[in-house]
Amino acid sequence: MSSHRKNIFLGLGIAILLALVPLLTKRNDIINIMVLIFLYICLAQSWNILAGYTGQVSLGHAAFFGLGAITTRILWVGGYPFLMAFTTGGLVAVVFALIVGHPALRLRGIYFAIGTLGLAQILKITVGNILPTVADLPGDYIATYNLIPRYYLFLILAVIMVVVVYLVGHSKLGLGMVAVREDEEAAEASGVNPFRQKMISLAISSFFAGLAGGAFAFYQVSYYHDLPFSPTWTFDALLITFVGGVGTIVGPIIGAFFYAIFREFFARAFPELHVFIFGTLFILVVLLLPGGLVEAVSRIRRLIRAKKTDTGFS
Amino acid sequence: MLEIERINVSYGDLQVLWDVFFEVKKEEIVALIGPNSAGKTTTLKTVSGLLRPFAGEIRFEGLAMGNMPIHKRVEMGISLVPEGRGLFPGMSTLENLELGAFTAKGRNCKEETLEQVYQLFPILKKRKKQAAGTLSGGEQQMLAIGRGLMSKPKLLLFDEPSWGLSPLLSKVIYEVIGEINHSGVTILLIEQNVRMALQLAKRAYVIENGRIVKHGDGRNMLNDQHIREVYLGTESV
Repeated sequence: MSSHRKNIFLGLGIAILLALVPLLTKRNDIINIMVLIFLYICLAQSWNILAGYTGQVSLGHAAFFGLGAITTRILWVGGYPFLMAFTTGGLVAVVFALIVGHPALRLRGIYFAIGTLGLAQILKITVGNILPTVADLPGDYIATYNLIPRYYLFLILAVIMVVVVYLVGHSKLGLGMVAVREDEEAAEASGVNPFRQKMISLAISSFFAGLAGGAFAFYQVSYYHDLPFSPTWTFDALLITFVGGVGTIVGPIIGAFFYAIFREFFARAFPELHVFIFGTLFILVVLLLPGGLVEAVSRIRRLIRAKKTDTGFS
Repeated sequence: MLEIERINVSYGDLQVLWDVFFEVKKEEIVALIGPNSAGKTTTLKTVSGLLRPFAGEIRFEGLAMGNMPIHKRVEMGISLVPEGRGLFPGMSTLENLELGAFTAKGRNCKEETLEQVYQLFPILKKRKKQAAGTLSGGEQQMLAIGRGLMSKPKLLLFDEPSWGLSPLLSKVIYEVIGEINHSGVTILLIEQNVRMALQLAKRAYVIENGRIVKHGDGRNMLNDQHIREVYLGTESV
């Protein structure tokens, strides 16, 4: 209970600090990179609940992000209130997930990964064919555009996402998910219905990916309609989660900060080489720290503790 | 309680069980014995729902199991303690036990059953935060049994409970199986350690090459000529 309370206070403290950022700085580049970090937290955390906790490595995450984005953008620009458009975007992603989840979740391992990647690509190409135009915001929307509400929308969404994953991770539902990841047959022999666990996990995952897409559609002034369906979003989520620590709550958060900030830094310092440098860095993390940066933290902690006991004996 | 009516099971084109039949009555201990690859594990897998018979029927409390999935059978009261324990090695002892109580029935009296399991195996309480994969072989077997009990089963299936254990530990485990049975749980076990199984079981069935070849009272089987020659390695008197 006390560790629960400590975690909650720590999380709350960080969230409040982040909420103060727009009051402390007027620099748009800082606000923009923070928005990107929150977007990455949502994307990675929603991917993490399906892949990290339940063990279903989906490569179709962009489909949910894209569906949320396109639904929200069309409804919002069409004159509906933003919050309504936004929630509808999340729900459309869930409905799509439940329809395709039924056949897709019958596939296992690599086949599930390929199957979901295929689905997302089909959706991307279809949207690109039907709506080949740029999704520009109308003039009156641009005239009233303000970055600060976007910042808070993303912050709140990221906080809710983290809280949901935390609650699920500490519940019976989460225990069942991890059991399915560890050993599906043993889980079923314990009375867990693996298919049900996977479907619930997929529904939560797609809902938040859809909301993240909706927030993106609210934030980005101009983009091609099929951009949010691009596999980059999936692979960003995957990279961030693996670099941070797959199957943990803190991993995707650390990963998102690391990914957004370092990529920005390398892109400015070495414009021609930044993708190469970042790729190498990613390979190093995965090779040396299979548990991600979270593992590095706990390793250093253990090292310090070992040192302390050493000096205590001498 | 459990009736197996002439089941036939195959892996693809390869048939491994032919008209296997047996019965487990309420509160009995029944042993299914036989040599390697005779079909013991296949039979147990079919009862628990991992495999489906292409002919024949399995009835539990008079109800045909048909294509009922595994987790529903657990809900009905059939629980398996798998061979090689089948634990979740990365999860803690307590988490493994909690997963055993995933069913509605197990959930309702989780704390109570947990106390009973700790009473049966006090070492598990000491190890409750430790990852299951780091427990010793004997402790893992205890954990597997404990997890099986957490679902409040009516029928507990054991797949080689003495697998990989020292003779002394096997004895301990067998004593516990006896205790569990005394508390009212029906038991079906398959075992290569024929002597131990026959000493414990009320009745036993012998399976060879996928067919039931013999059945009878556990103690009497110990004196059976065929059993003595083939399984116990002693000359008949």
